[in-house]
Amino acid sequence: MSEHVAVSKVNAQTAEHGGALGKLVAFSLTLAIAPISSYFISERYLWAGQSGDYSSEDLYVSNRIPGNSTYAAITAIVAANVVLVAYIIVSVRDDKQEPAPVAPAGELESKKTK
Amino acid sequence: MSSCPPYAPFFGFGGVASAMVLSTVGAAFGTSKAGIGIAGLGTFKPELIMKSLIPVVMSGIIAVYGLVVAVLIVGGIQPGDYSLYAGFVHLGAGLACGCTGMAAGYAIGLVGDSCVRAYVYESKVFVTMVLILIFGEVLGLYGLIVALIMNSRAAEAPRCGTF
Repeated sequence: MSEHVAVSKVNAQTAEHGGALGKLVAFSLTLAIAPISSYFISERYLWAGQSGDYSSEDLYVSNRIPGNSTYAAITAIVAANVVLVAYIIVSVRDDKQEPAPVAPAGELESKKTK
Repeated sequence: MSSCPPYAPFFGFGGVASAMVLSTVGAAFGTSKAGIGIAGLGTFKPELIMKSLIPVVMSGIIAVYGLVVAVLIVGGIQPGDYSLYAGFVHLGAGLACGCTGMAAGYAIGLVGDSCVRAYVYESKVFVTMVLILIFGEVLGLYGLIVALIMNSRAAEAPRCGTF
């Protein structure tokens, strides 16, 4: 009897925490990719220097004047802090929703043990 | 004595390396020390793990600061027209970001470890923990701001061949 309780508790826990693992992986990837990609993308397109005429083969030519790199660094730092704030909000909201899934599983078990 | 000796990029790349390496040392200390506390918390209350991973994420942000400053400085180093002045400026910028990152990571690690252990017993510690962690993180941000300001001064360096 206690084995059924233990197995159902482990199943409930993995059902809750499977979503948590996915969220953590998504946040790790976002924190790795977002700042550095926003640095390069914003340097080229957002804070661009004078680029003159762009034809398709000139995009990688070496005499392109680079964009303002200080503003691009600030953009990257803002992106990293946005990821941090998003993680804090998601973790606090995740904690507030926590009691709802546990209650029905508990009631099923109490009916069985009666 | 010219203003553009050939060993000038040594200091510039020294700045790049110190920004990345020293801030990563701080982030590693912060991650590991907070991780020890989280492992202790996880044995008692696994549902609190998502919230208690915040110190680890903040340590990752410290490493991102070092990465961004390293990429920023590397973009300003060129093989030909690079003066010793610019080399020293880049070295200073890298050291400013790296050493403050190390300090911030150290603070985040110790605070994260103690606060997540206290969070097992008292849930009001959470807001306090986030506040203290933000103050620790801001130390790394100050170093980043100084590094950005210093790096923007490197563009005023004299052209090589003139004094």
